[in-house]
Amino acid sequence: MLTIQDIAGVWDKHLMTMRTIEHLQMFSVALLLSIIIGVTVGVFIYMKPKTANPVLNFLNIVETIPDLALIVLLLPILKLGAGPTIAACVLYSILPIARNTYTGLRGVDEQYTCVARAIGLSRSEALFKVRIPLSLPLIAGGIRIALVFCMGVVTLGGLVAAGGLGTVLQNGIQLYDKEAIIVAGLWTGLLAVLLDGFAGIIEKKLHERYGTW
Amino acid sequence: MQTERLFDRIDSIQFKGVTKKYGSGFAVKDLDLEIEGGELLILIGPSGSGKTTTLRIMNRMIEQDFGSVTINGIDTREVDPVRLRRNMGYVIQNIGLFPHMTIGENIGLVPKLEGWDKKKTEGRVRELLDFVSLPPDMFMNRYPRQLSGGQQQRVGLARAMAMDPPLFLMDEPFGALDPILRKQLQKEFLKIKNEINRTIVFVTHDIEEALILGDRIAIMDQAKLVQMGPPEELIFNPANDLVADIVDTKRKFKHMDTLNVKDLMSPFEQKYVFEGKMNACDAVEEMANRDIETAFVFDGDELLGQVTMMDLMKCRMKSQNLADVARPVRTFQPLDSVAVALSELKKNGEYLAIVMNSKHPIGILISDEVLLKLI
Repeated sequence: MLTIQDIAGVWDKHLMTMRTIEHLQMFSVALLLSIIIGVTVGVFIYMKPKTANPVLNFLNIVETIPDLALIVLLLPILKLGAGPTIAACVLYSILPIARNTYTGLRGVDEQYTCVARAIGLSRSEALFKVRIPLSLPLIAGGIRIALVFCMGVVTLGGLVAAGGLGTVLQNGIQLYDKEAIIVAGLWTGLLAVLLDGFAGIIEKKLHERYGTW
Repeated sequence: MQTERLFDRIDSIQFKGVTKKYGSGFAVKDLDLEIEGGELLILIGPSGSGKTTTLRIMNRMIEQDFGSVTINGIDTREVDPVRLRRNMGYVIQNIGLFPHMTIGENIGLVPKLEGWDKKKTEGRVRELLDFVSLPPDMFMNRYPRQLSGGQQQRVGLARAMAMDPPLFLMDEPFGALDPILRKQLQKEFLKIKNEINRTIVFVTHDIEEALILGDRIAIMDQAKLVQMGPPEELIFNPANDLVADIVDTKRKFKHMDTLNVKDLMSPFEQKYVFEGKMNACDAVEEMANRDIETAFVFDGDELLGQVTMMDLMKCRMKSQNLADVARPVRTFQPLDSVAVALSELKKNGEYLAIVMNSKHPIGILISDEVLLKLI
């Protein structure tokens, strides 16, 4: 049975405060990039519907590459450190965000888009003033999926010297330090659950604000 | 994006040979139509008759395959559609207020895109909410879902008026409301219509609404214009069975032959009586006092004729009295048939007559009112 002292001991020995900050830094950068790229791709394939299928199929293929393999494949290009991990996160996250953005934009009720046109909104005005706001709940849903992906991939980063809580787990496995594995494992899991819960609240708020009944 | 004003008022809108194909059929086929500035034209017809297509061709939501639509001589296809639409107010049945914007933001959207500053936009929004009888302070910051259907429709109307367009396109704007609310909004709309004095093209499938609101009614069927004219023309001279069916002549006016003039006349009031000896210029003042536009000139018991305010304003000679300028007025007996009376009026381009009981006037027959009483 783990006592508070044990946990505190593991925490200090493995520099877990620092590791947590590293972890969350990588995670935030990755998620932010994913949102920017994902939403952009989603809007692009909505504007050019012919590209939608090829792009989504390509992203699907990327999605099927095992995460460890993807990180290792990225190593020669991005060198050791946080680079390959962040890149892998982004590559995985583009699909759910882009797909939800695309579905959301297409799914906006025709009565609103028709009125937007009729009262004299140009295509881009209709996109930014009507379509994107009304798709926000669905886009947020995509981001929430990406968030969970990213938490997992960032943890794997420990294997390629990216830092973060994965490093603690990695050390624990190599040194057969059961306590470190349990503490770091539980803490990583708890962080993911907390962040997901937080994202869930934001998603719900967006639904209340922008959702259509 | 800022757009220039296309026209301050509509002089005329002309459809020439406008055709829109729809698959193998036609949505609109070879349509010729002229809409006069300032009128409210109703487009009515069975579903699929092309009335909404006609409306949407005007703001280029739908582009015709052949033919042209010109507004004040400008071909709509030569104008940027965004600019064209910002010069027209548009109201539809399901209103389509944006659910993520407040009422104020909904109404102020296009002004904001036109680059109006915050203060000017808010001022305009307040003015419009007042105009449609929604207290601005109470409604500006609410979201559409917090409003009833009737309130939403008023906001829809306010939004259409935001840029003060000279032309309104309305596609069954009251269609989704319950009958009582619809009546009320129609009544308010009539008031608004008279105040803003704009050209309005109004699609409906409700003939009562058409007869109440329309200056002229265009009946469409199977992508074609069947008949167009003022309400009474459609009722008394329907071009074919479909028109008769739509204006419901058979049912509503079946009893017309049995109705007498006295059933549908308005009561005669003493305020309409003027003595023939009266000086014409004094009469103008007296008519204004009595708040009437038309007066009937009597010499004792004898009816000499009618004068209107307009006639009297034109006459400049001081020496004239009413007996000199009175124009003959048609008279009917209380038991004359309404149908005969109305068609006689129409034939002579008149709109009112006096109903005489032997020597005494007992009522006035006004063609517009007769129609309203019938529906």
